Amino acid sequence: MAEDLANAARFCFEPLLAAAAPDAAPALSPVLILILAVAAGIGTFMLLPSKREATIRKLGGVVLLAAGLILAASLIHYVAGLNQHQMSLYFWIFSAIAILSAVRVVTHPRPVYSALYFVLTVLASAGLFVLLWAEFMAIALIMIYAGAILVTYVFVIMLASQASNPATGAERAMNANPLAECDQISREPLVASAIGFTMMGVLLFVIFDRATGGPMDLAARPATQPTTQPIAAAPGTIQQPEIQLTEVRTTVSVPDSGTVMGMPATIITTQPARVSTQAPFTPGSPQAIGTYLFRNQLVNLELAGLILTIAMVGAILIARRQVVLPAGALAAAEAKLTGGDLVNDNPHSIPIYGTHDPQAKAYPES
Amino acid sequence: MTQLALQHYLAVGGILFVIGLIGFITRRNLIVIFLCTELMFQGVAINLIAFGRYHYNDLGGQAFTIYLLVIAAAEASLALGLVVLLFRQKNTLDADAWRELKG
Repeated sequence: MAEDLANAARFCFEPLLAAAAPDAAPALSPVLILILAVAAGIGTFMLLPSKREATIRKLGGVVLLAAGLILAASLIHYVAGLNQHQMSLYFWIFSAIAILSAVRVVTHPRPVYSALYFVLTVLASAGLFVLLWAEFMAIALIMIYAGAILVTYVFVIMLASQASNPATGAERAMNANPLAECDQISREPLVASAIGFTMMGVLLFVIFDRATGGPMDLAARPATQPTTQPIAAAPGTIQQPEIQLTEVRTTVSVPDSGTVMGMPATIITTQPARVSTQAPFTPGSPQAIGTYLFRNQLVNLELAGLILTIAMVGAILIARRQVVLPAGALAAAEAKLTGGDLVNDNPHSIPIYGTHDPQAKAYPES
Repeated sequence: MTQLALQHYLAVGGILFVIGLIGFITRRNLIVIFLCTELMFQGVAINLIAFGRYHYNDLGGQAFTIYLLVIAAAEASLALGLVVLLFRQKNTLDADAWRELKG
């Protein structure tokens, strides 16, 4: 435990120490980050849904895309300038898809399309998870987010937007854009873009200014130190349970020859403390995560299950339908349901299906 | 395999978080507001997993991502229940319809 804390402390402080080194050049210059953040903010402001013309929105999209491309290009140039030949192409593809579709989630005026673009973001970040050796989490993310949560969102969108557009056919024909007013006009786009991209600029500045000399410099460090490089351990050597051998000392007191050369006879047996039959795990596998969760974070896991149960009960309670029917509506509904006729259970009155004569009986009484 | 630095993943997570934040402020549709919170959750999840990967392949990042998924699912179910409830009251999804809650 103390070793973990020491490692964590080193991990936290090491970037600061490295940044104090004189030759640590920031990956991205702050001026570039500032310009990119301003450009992206302007682009987002123009792209957010409003009553502007479509050309202005397209122009904003182009500005935003250009800012993102410049950021990506400068990052690629920075990594490539460090003689980095093993650049991961998939990282750029997945992150580009994730960010572009995230922008579309925010800027698309139709909620259903926002939800579908969010599915694209989820899939792309699942790809990033796979690159980070978190295969189980990638699958779980797709199943839970794209499979469960998004289906719920789409259901609610359809449930709500079906009734929120009570326009008749003629009105729909007149108005080719049957969007609600709240989807067309966004609230405070200028302030939000300014706040958001100020925050993004500060985040990028901190991330890349505190960055140590770059991936290659860090790769030269000994692997035992926590670095910002992935620990290049082969899959299968991580989380492998160690079979600890403990010495079990058993002192046997023998009445007559109780001492061997003046010492009490001690039988030393060596046996495995915990016989482990587990296979070596790759770090992202379900076995590894399950073992980690149930060994280290059992209480947290149970609390998570409890939270989920409480949330489910609460959601059912909140969304319970309370329909106040006018008097007599219930009886009318029942009458409609049963057809206003009592069911005759006389077997001789069973009608013959397939005939047009409802009075024809399958078993005539004659 | 990947020789990218931790900073790249952190940057992607931060950008996703900020985009979700902007959407949370600007959009007026209640459902899209909660979609934007899910977007912010995505950014945080990428950050957590990247930290875990770059710190001795520690599984703590993935464990906390599991908790994050749990919280996201609970938040989505409660939020959508509330949205349905609010929609029944005013028959619109506009968040500005509840302007009187400003106090």
